[in-house]
Amino acid sequence: MCSSTAVTEQRFSTTTIEFPYTRTLGPVYSAFLTGLRDQKIVGITSRDGKVLCPPTEWDPQTGEALELDFVEVGPGGVVETWAWVTEPTRKHPLDHPFAFALVRLDGADSALLHAVDAGSIDAMHTGMRVTPRWRDERIGYITDLEAFVPEGSA
Amino acid sequence: MSDASQDVVDPNAPVVGMDYFMSLHFKEIICPVVRRYADALRDGKLIGHRCPKCGLVYAPPRGYCPIDVIETTDADEVQLADHGFITNYTVVTPVAYYGQEATEPFAKVSVQLDEPGGALSLQDVLEIGADEVRVGMRVEAVWAPESERNVDEIGNRSWGSAEGCIRGWRPTGEPDVAADQMSDKAF
Repeated sequence: MCSSTAVTEQRFSTTTIEFPYTRTLGPVYSAFLTGLRDQKIVGITSRDGKVLCPPTEWDPQTGEALELDFVEVGPGGVVETWAWVTEPTRKHPLDHPFAFALVRLDGADSALLHAVDAGSIDAMHTGMRVTPRWRDERIGYITDLEAFVPEGSA
Repeated sequence: MSDASQDVVDPNAPVVGMDYFMSLHFKEIICPVVRRYADALRDGKLIGHRCPKCGLVYAPPRGYCPIDVIETTDADEVQLADHGFITNYTVVTPVAYYGQEATEPFAKVSVQLDEPGGALSLQDVLEIGADEVRVGMRVEAVWAPESERNVDEIGNRSWGSAEGCIRGWRPTGEPDVAADQMSDKAF
């Protein structure tokens, strides 16, 4: 579609499209994020008595609505599986290499996807114990829990 | 994300909402025909392409005529007038949505350029209030001083944009153009 004008120097344009909005959380995510703000990790009890963290509004087995039966879990947990991110993008939770991991918190039967700031891929292994590193300023976001770190390193 | 903290009046109240900030950031190569337009603007000139088939003038040049579906090239380039008349306008009454910097009503106008033609849309009008803008009003470009011109905002889809070089258009005071002289000028 462009004409064949001789190209002397390449030029770029950069564009940022932004779309901000606010989402209503509902009782379950509200409890979870209120918990994070208060430095607590909250799960919910499912119909068969298991503890789900992150909490869900519906029973994963039956699809039925769950009672608002919240349970505090963690703060420590176990890495169930992980993937190392060597080159974080600007949208990633950390600006240096880290792991995305499924962390099963103590007292929970399901796992939470979050970042593990282990410093090096060599420090990562399935089954390792991790503990949260909280932000000083917490506002009710998943990032209030900045990352998990290997237990004993915090 | 830090905006959310300002919404929370009671720091101990339950968190009931979550601000999402969706953003898409991308970089693209500027198409040669747009670069040429931008370079001309920096030199204080408006350029366009005249379709060799239908004769309509496209400003800025697009590199093709969407009516005849043919390519246009540097051979079809024409230098345009920096004066013309307002063919239509919209008065925007700003609401304080995210990113809106304006607080007072303002007009965005389309300017039909004098011969050889071409039309620029979404232009600012200077020296008069938004309520004084009218169709047919004759206007001329107010160029930024050469040292202050920039083409940073001109991208592949910013057709009609000249903001960094032309500050806006001011009424010349000449008699208005009659409605019957406005048709068949532009796509």
